[in-house]
Amino acid sequence: MKKLRIVIQYECVTSFKYIWLFYAIEYAIVLLIAVVVALCTGAMEHVGSNCLEINTMIYAAVLGVLGFHEDFKMLIQNGFTRRYIYLATLSMFAFISGIMALVDTVMGNGLHYFLNGYSSMYGAIYGYYHFFANWLWLFLLYMLVCSLLYLVGLAVNRYGKRILLYSGAALLGLVLIVMAMFRYILPGEIARSVLNFLAGAMGFMSDGTKHLGLPLLTLFLIAALLELGAYAVIRRTELR
Amino acid sequence: MNAIQIRNVTKRYKNITALDHVSFSFEHGRIYGFLGRNGAGKSTLINIIANRIFSDEGEVLIDGIPAKENMGVHEKVFCMSETDLYDTGLKIKEHFKWMKRFYDSFDMEKALEIAGKFQLDTEKRFGALSKGYQTIFKLTAALALNVPYVIFDEPVLGLDANHRELFYALLLKDYEEKERTIIIATHLIEEVANLIEDVVLIDRGKVILQESVENLLAAGYCVSGMAQEVDRYCKGKNVIGQDELGGLKLVYVLGEKTQIPAGSGLQMTAMNLQKLFVKLTEKGES
Repeated sequence: MKKLRIVIQYECVTSFKYIWLFYAIEYAIVLLIAVVVALCTGAMEHVGSNCLEINTMIYAAVLGVLGFHEDFKMLIQNGFTRRYIYLATLSMFAFISGIMALVDTVMGNGLHYFLNGYSSMYGAIYGYYHFFANWLWLFLLYMLVCSLLYLVGLAVNRYGKRILLYSGAALLGLVLIVMAMFRYILPGEIARSVLNFLAGAMGFMSDGTKHLGLPLLTLFLIAALLELGAYAVIRRTELR
Repeated sequence: MNAIQIRNVTKRYKNITALDHVSFSFEHGRIYGFLGRNGAGKSTLINIIANRIFSDEGEVLIDGIPAKENMGVHEKVFCMSETDLYDTGLKIKEHFKWMKRFYDSFDMEKALEIAGKFQLDTEKRFGALSKGYQTIFKLTAALALNVPYVIFDEPVLGLDANHRELFYALLLKDYEEKERTIIIATHLIEEVANLIEDVVLIDRGKVILQESVENLLAAGYCVSGMAQEVDRYCKGKNVIGQDELGGLKLVYVLGEKTQIPAGSGLQMTAMNLQKLFVKLTEKGES
């Protein structure tokens, strides 16, 4: 267990400093845009940088890809098993997602409070000042993005780009078929039930209320499924 | 058993069999030359030992412990590879710091001492080092790690002659201080000929020879002279190669030496390790 603790520390410590670099750049750009817009329009009402969490999602995606490409090689060189590498990477995703979700929750609600025109992603969907639910939702969302890209990275390494591109095309085709089915084939009642179910999974109940727990459960289940998939692939992953 | 045991290991890549039911052992406390031509299967086997890839059949045991996905062998084997697998963004001193934490047997003092001898700048990031210095870092890490089995896959790639000599000297010093198994996979056979004690020769996925260097050099010899005389002498002997020029012939023989017949005009000379390697692998080709 000592070695597992150390490898988790390695993953977390070597990824930690880049978070602050990311935020420094992000908020410097936001500030620059705000200053330019304010100088041009003479007012702050039109400063329109909303949903900064999207940037964090992109960062999480990059982290997911690098989680495989860089860290897998480094840790396999240092004699760690795939199980240890997977657990360390998963812990790093959780650590980074947790911190970034916290920063984004505080900043999102803070910016909305001080600059009323600012909308955070969670706030725009579910409302403001549900701090814990907001943090957990963002945490699970970032984990989901990390896990998805980690799985994609592992799958590309194992099966090759071409097979993955075919799979992507097949998935796109499936989405189009499902959409067509909803519109032309499925009876209206069934289509409505499915849509109600999906909306419910994201916390939008049929009576018009919002349930904050259900989207958390949905995100958790999807992220867990992706992580299980990643574990299944990494167990057979070979260095190329 | 104190050894790396390779048992019936097979590895296939689509239509190519990189390793074909390979079985042998690297005994503890010896320096091995793991030789073979490009694509012979050396790196494939090393990667299987280091748990970087998996065999399709067979298994590798390190001191009796299965090497596949087993943290039990973490402090037993280390592989310095030709491929750069290290984090390019970390400084060399940070790499050392992490290795110290990853391995109980990593000697930080020794690492810094070796780095100093090679004039390796530990403040530089791995990615900012030249190819030669990246190799030096990898060698330093391997030498500073006191594990019982160290594998060097093309250890002197990109090093100048001075650094190569320094590496060989450090390797020998290290071996004298603490006996362990050192496996060197290289194409520079003559450079390591005086260093290695045993040779494992692999060709097209099969081990074709495992012998001590002493025995090999004693058993390998060249006979030259008129073609007819040479052919007469070599009848029934294990001829592993030959060169001809006009009526003159030079043959390479592996096996027991017999007296040159008096008045035959034949000459017997010693065969070096590189020539032996070339002829053995050529023989396989024909």
